[in-house]
Amino acid sequence: MVALPGENISAEPAGYHDDGKPKFFARWFYSTNHKDIGTLYLIFGIISGLIGGFLSFMMRMELADPGIQFFTNEHQYLVYVSMHGLIMIFFMVMPALIGGFGNWFVPIMVGAPDMAFPRMNNLSFWLLPTALICLLISFVVPGNANGNGFGGSWVMYPPLSTTGHPGPAFDFIIIGLLAAGFSSIFGAINFITTILNMRAPGMTMHKMPLFAWAVLVTAFLLLLALPVLAAALFMLFTDRIAGGTGFFDPARGGDPQMFQHLFWFFGHPEVYIMILPAFGIVSHIISTFSKKPIFGYLGMAYAMVAIGVVGFVVWAHHMYTVGMDVNLKAYFLAATLVIAVPTGVKIFSWLATMWGGSIRFTIPMQWALAFIFLFVVGGVTGVMLANAGVDAYLHDTYYVVAHFHYVLSMGAVFGIFAGFYYWFGKMFGVMYNKFLAAAHFWLFFIGVNVIFFPQHFLGLNGMPRRYVDYPEEFAIWNQVSSFGAYITLAGVVFFFLMLIEAFIVRRRVGDNYWGEGATTLEWTLSSPPPYHQFNVLPRIEDNAEH
Amino acid sequence: MAGHAVEHDYHLIPPSPWPFLSGVACLVWGVGMVTFFAGLVPRTGESPMLEWFFSKGLDSLQDSYRPVADQVGADGGWAILLAGTIMAALVMISWWKDVAAESRAGDHTPVVDIGLRYGMIMFIMQEAMFFVGWFWMFFELGLFHKMRAAWNTDVLENAPEYADSMAPGIHAVDAWNLPLMNTIVLLLSGTTVTWAHHALIHGDRKGAKWGLGLTVLLGLFFTGLQGIEYVELFHERGEGAPWLSTDAYGSAFFMATGFHGLHVLIGTIFLGVMFLRLTKGGLRPEKHFGLEAAAWYWHFVDVVWLFLFAFVYIIFASSLHG
Amino acid sequence: MKSPTNKTTIIAAIIAVAIGVGTFVALIVLGLGGERGMGQPVDGGYFLQDAATPVMEDLTTVHNMVFYWISGITAFVMALMVYIMIRFREKANPVPSKTSHNTAIEVVWTIAPVLILLFIAVPSMQLLYFQDKLPETDMTIKAVGNTWNWSYTYPDLENIEEIISNPLDEVQAKAQGKPYLLGTDAQLVVPVDTNVKVLVTSINNMHSWTVPSFGIKMDAVPGIINETWFRATREGVFYGQCSEICGIKHYYMPIEVNVVSKAEYARWVANDGAFTSSVAQNNTLMGSGQTAAQK
Ligand code: HEA
Ligand code: HEA
Ligand code: CUA
Ligand SMILES: [Cu+2]
Repeated sequence: MVALPGENISAEPAGYHDDGKPKFFARWFYSTNHKDIGTLYLIFGIISGLIGGFLSFMMRMELADPGIQFFTNEHQYLVYVSMHGLIMIFFMVMPALIGGFGNWFVPIMVGAPDMAFPRMNNLSFWLLPTALICLLISFVVPGNANGNGFGGSWVMYPPLSTTGHPGPAFDFIIIGLLAAGFSSIFGAINFITTILNMRAPGMTMHKMPLFAWAVLVTAFLLLLALPVLAAALFMLFTDRIAGGTGFFDPARGGDPQMFQHLFWFFGHPEVYIMILPAFGIVSHIISTFSKKPIFGYLGMAYAMVAIGVVGFVVWAHHMYTVGMDVNLKAYFLAATLVIAVPTGVKIFSWLATMWGGSIRFTIPMQWALAFIFLFVVGGVTGVMLANAGVDAYLHDTYYVVAHFHYVLSMGAVFGIFAGFYYWFGKMFGVMYNKFLAAAHFWLFFIGVNVIFFPQHFLGLNGMPRRYVDYPEEFAIWNQVSSFGAYITLAGVVFFFLMLIEAFIVRRRVGDNYWGEGATTLEWTLSSPPPYHQFNVLPRIEDNAEH
Repeated sequence: MAGHAVEHDYHLIPPSPWPFLSGVACLVWGVGMVTFFAGLVPRTGESPMLEWFFSKGLDSLQDSYRPVADQVGADGGWAILLAGTIMAALVMISWWKDVAAESRAGDHTPVVDIGLRYGMIMFIMQEAMFFVGWFWMFFELGLFHKMRAAWNTDVLENAPEYADSMAPGIHAVDAWNLPLMNTIVLLLSGTTVTWAHHALIHGDRKGAKWGLGLTVLLGLFFTGLQGIEYVELFHERGEGAPWLSTDAYGSAFFMATGFHGLHVLIGTIFLGVMFLRLTKGGLRPEKHFGLEAAAWYWHFVDVVWLFLFAFVYIIFASSLHG
Repeated sequence: MKSPTNKTTIIAAIIAVAIGVGTFVALIVLGLGGERGMGQPVDGGYFLQDAATPVMEDLTTVHNMVFYWISGITAFVMALMVYIMIRFREKANPVPSKTSHNTAIEVVWTIAPVLILLFIAVPSMQLLYFQDKLPETDMTIKAVGNTWNWSYTYPDLENIEEIISNPLDEVQAKAQGKPYLLGTDAQLVVPVDTNVKVLVTSINNMHSWTVPSFGIKMDAVPGIINETWFRATREGVFYGQCSEICGIKHYYMPIEVNVVSKAEYARWVANDGAFTSSVAQNNTLMGSGQTAAQK
């Protein structure tokens, strides 16, 4: 195997086998162990990533040429778009980042033996398969007269989601999202309590690793944003029942735009929910592989707090074209621009962390570096969209699609993969094959750029979103974009090859296989950590680095 | 480190079936919700499994935009919903039994106790945000309704026919009748629960029982009054009283007060369980977080009601009537 | 020890600057250099469609200004990363420094973005208010989104009937020489150099009335009447597409506006909404943002 610097190859950690692990069924279904639950979340995220990825590849195949080729009708395409958005966001990114890595590493990083409410932790997980099953049922039950499934986009605006989809498909989505929402709310309560109440002796808030900070802010966003979505979903549910309510029915004095306010009041914090944990992960990776402590630690932590706070007061930048009052638009324009400042602080602090460092380009570091650059590209197009005047042109064009895939499919997803490769040895005790991992990285890096960079051009040229067919002037860039999807697909294949190979060959790794630079508490434990860590709580010294 | 004996005060819990079973119960309940309220309509004979599963006729989708109304109460739906609810209730009971037992066994050390407090505060925070959603909806409808209907006078001059789409007149519920009574009931229950708490702290278990028992009764009384109000409104619907489906006020009114009522019910059950524990000798003067949590929850429900009373019943009712 | 590091520094700086400047120039050239569509997209185009109203002209200006800034920032970050990656790679810099604070630089990188954002915000606000403010309107049209077509009425004109604007299918479009998925069977007709107020609403699902070359996108929401305005400064046919998801034919409810001379418009009105001269009809048939005379 390729030995990594500072890595010592050890046998099975002592005492690993007789540490009170329950039998298979009890261990994986009745689990109360944060690491096992974290693993379940990661597996769940990978499965959802496959489903969401499959949907997006079908979409790209359809869009490769003008005309309608693969889908039976337009409705089916819209169903794929909607489910792709929902599944990627609620069932891939959130479970992987928050449920997966959060569960695995927040307790360890703050020096706690487990989460505050281990049983509720498992409830958070098991609500997700329930939710996903509801969404999958939705595929096969009638949406409206045009076919099965819900085709009203992930934003679910009424009246298209009420009178426009009378079938039960959308009801299942509502139930599924409610379940997923409560899963996240319980998770948020758990993380907040763990972080505030279970830090090891000497671990003050200002000594806490940045990933824990990131998850703390994320948890607050979840706690305050998701209940509003739940209320909005209930309103949709009762509006859909005939003889029910008329919140969004103008004929009865209701207001269809109000749903957009409620949705985006949740929706905008939601996008930071998806990126903040990735910020945390990237901070650790940059610091580890520059062999330097993170630059401007306090600035980094409070920048995330600032992003979280400001994130709650910018929601209507998604609604510039709904006919809002101009002064409101001006306010939302200004508030949205403000977010670029704390985000900039983070970007520059990462660069400053690397400055003067001794940089190793390991696989996780490659993902992290790519993350920084691609997130900047996505972030600055967000600044373009924030200009309400210009958004009158760009809103609901592919420019927006390009923007949010740069921050999601390249921000959040690159964060996930960076964390996955960074902690892979720690979580599973084995090291991946570097070639396969590098192939995964490069195919993915090139692939997603080829998919999404040309989409800026499409948007500028005027192509609207959620179109199954388009004027042939848009054909060239769509073809390029679809070609990129095939490259990305190859990347996904290498990801799975990497996984299979690593678990077949089983190269064992030591406690701190990244060596100097990896300073957080997880590196003091064996790989994988014992079933219950910190039976004796670690003590953080006063002069310790964060 | 695995070899070491446990030297910390945190509460590590052995594997438990309840979370997993909650997930299953939630799935059943969710399917029941949909089948009951919307009805499942297999479109073709292509999916025999679905056909078997759902009892709706195949022809339903022919008149596809038919209101979902006549499917309410669709056969079969209620059974699934009921099954899901029972399952969920059983799981919850078992779960909380475990928690109570752990508390008795001394697993809730001081640090765990603080954790429970954090947890409860966070839970109430998210409940508060849930009601923010409903109040926001209500304010939007109440404050900007006229503005929306007459979006721009200039517009209306130019396009008179658009005025037709203005909302119908709004009717509100009289605040100074049952709602006033309800306010008094809830405020009173807030004092009785505090009485119970203080009595328990001072070792006066009898007083605690009285206080708690009265709170539960007041809670039930509130629910009863609310029920009477709903029934009256139901009978007067169409004669000027608001109803769920008549207008935006009715929708907001029923959903906001309805969800509040649901929370009252949950709070009552919560307090009732504490009452049972108290009578069975549980809850010690120095350690009774269950009761405190129930009291916090109850006060929260109380505050929400005050907001509802002030805005939904009084302020908007008077402004909308005119 | 000293000399190789120095050499690395210089090489790294040169490469970084080259890549940074290269990226910037490439982005700008790529962005601004492309062919622009007038009234409709161009084949393989990668920039805003050309402006046909003062609002769109300002919008283009603001867009370009922001575009310079964000290209610059992206190029800067990229160059910095490349420099750091070369200069501070393990081989070139085996011993890491331990610096983790520098208040001065932290202040700089907080203030600098604030200033940039101020530069962006001011013209952006001006555009926003200009776009919103209805000037003296000379005429009004109503656009109603239906599932799935647009219908237009002229509230000031009694003799013009409601125009129902249905999309053309591929065969019809080809026959009429109009672009498929953009052309309609009945256009909205407005005079040039006239302030037109547009009232937008919908009877069913939400839609969005969009004409890129006018810089207009206004949601059509049932129960709500939105208003916006435009003043076309060029004659010709301008296309747009529904921009709010509205169900299966979302992609199939285009918008077609024919801007004609004032005289032509007067004749069109006098004729109860039918063209008399061949020029205007040619406009229709050209199916592009140019008049026959321009071609
Ligand atoms: C992870 C997810 C994520 C993130 C982090 C962001 C970040 C940002 N987003 Fe994005 N956004 C989405 C996900 C995300 N977004 C999604 C999913 C949608 C579409 C939803 C839908 O309709 O379906 C969307 C849509 C969207 C819109 C609506 C567009 C429309 O529909 O018309 C707007 C408009 O303002 C916007 C703005 C921003 C801004 C200003 C940021 C900022 O936070 C970015 C800040 C970052 C930087 C600016 C780069 C780094 C900074 C520097 C290097 C400092 C110097 C920079 C300057 C001085 C400019 N986003
Ligand atoms: C996180 C969110 C996310 C991600 C990752 C993606 C990824 C991709 N998206 Fe998606 N997309 C959305 C969120 C996302 N998208 C949203 C919200 C919308 C709007 C929907 C709407 O309009 O309603 C949208 C819309 C959208 C459109 C516009 C459709 C339209 O408007 O008509 C297109 C078109 O090309 C597209 C394509 C793709 C492609 C090719 C990918 C590829 O990058 C896919 C490649 C595959 C992966 C990235 C998965 C790999 C991950 C794993 C296998 C899991 C790993 C997990 C662990 C290691 C734990 N997407
Ligand atoms: Cu009409 Cu989209
Ligand atoms: Cu946003």
